[in-house]
Amino acid sequence: MRRALWLAASWRVRATTYIVLIVASIWVLTPFVWAIQNSIKSLTDTFNPAAIVPFVNYTPTLSSWIKVLSDNQAIPALLSSLIVSSGTTLLVILLGTPAAYSLAGFEFPIRSRDLNLWFYSQRVMPPVVVLAPFFILLVQLKLVDTRIGLILIYTTFNLTFGIVIMRDVFREISRDINDAAKVDGANAWQIFWLIAIPLSLDGLIVTGIIVFSFCWNEALFASAVAPQHAATLATFVLASRSTQGVNFNIAAVNTLIAIMPPVLMSLFVHRYLARGLTFGAVKG
Amino acid sequence: MHDLKLPFVRRSERLYSSSNTLKYIFILPAALWIVAFTIFPVFATIQYSFANYVLGRGITAYVGLENYLNVLRSGAFWYSMFITSAYVSIAVPVELVLGFLLAWFVILCPREHNFFRPILTAPLFTMEVAIGYLGITLFTSQGGLFAEVLDYFGVHIPWMTTASGGLAAAIILDVWRWTPFVFLIAIAGLSGIPDEMYEAALLETSNYRHLLLYIALPLSWPVLSVALLLRLIEALKTFGIPLALTGGGPGISTQLFSILNYYTTIQFFDFGKGSAMAVIYLIFVSVVVALFFNGLRKGFE
Repeated sequence: MRRALWLAASWRVRATTYIVLIVASIWVLTPFVWAIQNSIKSLTDTFNPAAIVPFVNYTPTLSSWIKVLSDNQAIPALLSSLIVSSGTTLLVILLGTPAAYSLAGFEFPIRSRDLNLWFYSQRVMPPVVVLAPFFILLVQLKLVDTRIGLILIYTTFNLTFGIVIMRDVFREISRDINDAAKVDGANAWQIFWLIAIPLSLDGLIVTGIIVFSFCWNEALFASAVAPQHAATLATFVLASRSTQGVNFNIAAVNTLIAIMPPVLMSLFVHRYLARGLTFGAVKG
Repeated sequence: MHDLKLPFVRRSERLYSSSNTLKYIFILPAALWIVAFTIFPVFATIQYSFANYVLGRGITAYVGLENYLNVLRSGAFWYSMFITSAYVSIAVPVELVLGFLLAWFVILCPREHNFFRPILTAPLFTMEVAIGYLGITLFTSQGGLFAEVLDYFGVHIPWMTTASGGLAAAIILDVWRWTPFVFLIAIAGLSGIPDEMYEAALLETSNYRHLLLYIALPLSWPVLSVALLLRLIEALKTFGIPLALTGGGPGISTQLFSILNYYTTIQFFDFGKGSAMAVIYLIFVSVVVALFFNGLRKGFE
């Protein structure tokens, strides 16, 4: 990406670059390929080291996929993950967007540095520290083992985070556009709804995707407060780990179902990702 | 003239005051949510840590420091602190170095070969317990991919049956899962270095190792240190990968703090002891993060 650097590079530097990147890509892709490979093998083929190329060394089969998907646990878990993750994302965006806009655009008696410190301190605390209080709260609200209970917890964990990123996204909008709209007679609500939101849409989408994958991948609270009826894929994976043991083909299917949605989503986001993951501390 | 001016003034006043209310209306729902749900849990944990809590009956008695003494006398607690520290102090530096180097090579690489970037980012979005679960099929001695490949080269490591093997396997998966985090941030840092810097340096040297060590590394260090700090914070929470890979075993040998605390709270419903251990750990984490934060800030001031 650095033209000057690449043009001046010797063939050895260029070769090293490609070798390192190819080796790293193989390292990254291996578990994915391994999982896909095992998911279309029969159980006996998973123990055969010579079964490498499908159709040549072994006959691929969809039996593991059919077995998992027709089981009465995977689909509800998938559904739970979808509902909980999108519900949380929606709630975070709904509550967080106006708050973020307000913090980005208006003066508050509280300094923004103090606010940042509060946000970061939220991040430092390991979630397991508040496991007992949330468990007890859900017991009292009769929300144990419900999707709503999980949405409540996840919204709490992601709201501050979402506000920090979205505040940064809104700060990108130039003051001039804001002033121009004001001169044209737009009120504060119109500026927010007709100008700020459309202009920062891609930033908001990235925020949504990050929040979605945080919820999707969360296992500690999911398995603690929603072990059965509202079990998400993370809980399902942990459970099948103990019931299915090392059934390579089933493990592979379970893994793939659990990891693919956020990974596929990640392929569509580039901008704001570093910024989102560092809560705005890093631009890019 | 006067008539024309008055509505104008009034309108702008209204605009100002309405946006002033709007800013509070906008922030209120989120603020209420945060106040309601993020402040009480910490205080509740502190409260439970001094109490005997029975599920269904609530706090039955305050027991002073008993829970704390129980935790401090427990070998499993100190072991989990030790094993967590070992895990973090191996995984995080490895991820920092690898992530930075990969970012450097991706930055070097011509634009049309940009596809390396999404590939190298992909693990960051994978579910940790699923990766731990898949890890069993990578490290188990019967047919596990890594185990078999290493066996082929004559390296026999009992990944799943020993403490150090399990810890090493978990760290390898952690490196796979989290190096992309540093990688992404390092790319952002390296992209911020102006081309002229390199062009000027290229007049003096053609050694790319020097460009890496004397330009890229120091100039992106402020950004890298953010990656280090955030990675440290997240690593201290490590839960999913070792839980799914080894279940904390064999025995308690890979029971990192979050796993121990999870079992204490959710399997044994010992909220008092679980909370006491959480408070101690929270203090430990805060001190570690504060020390790093201060050290890093001095680093680039």
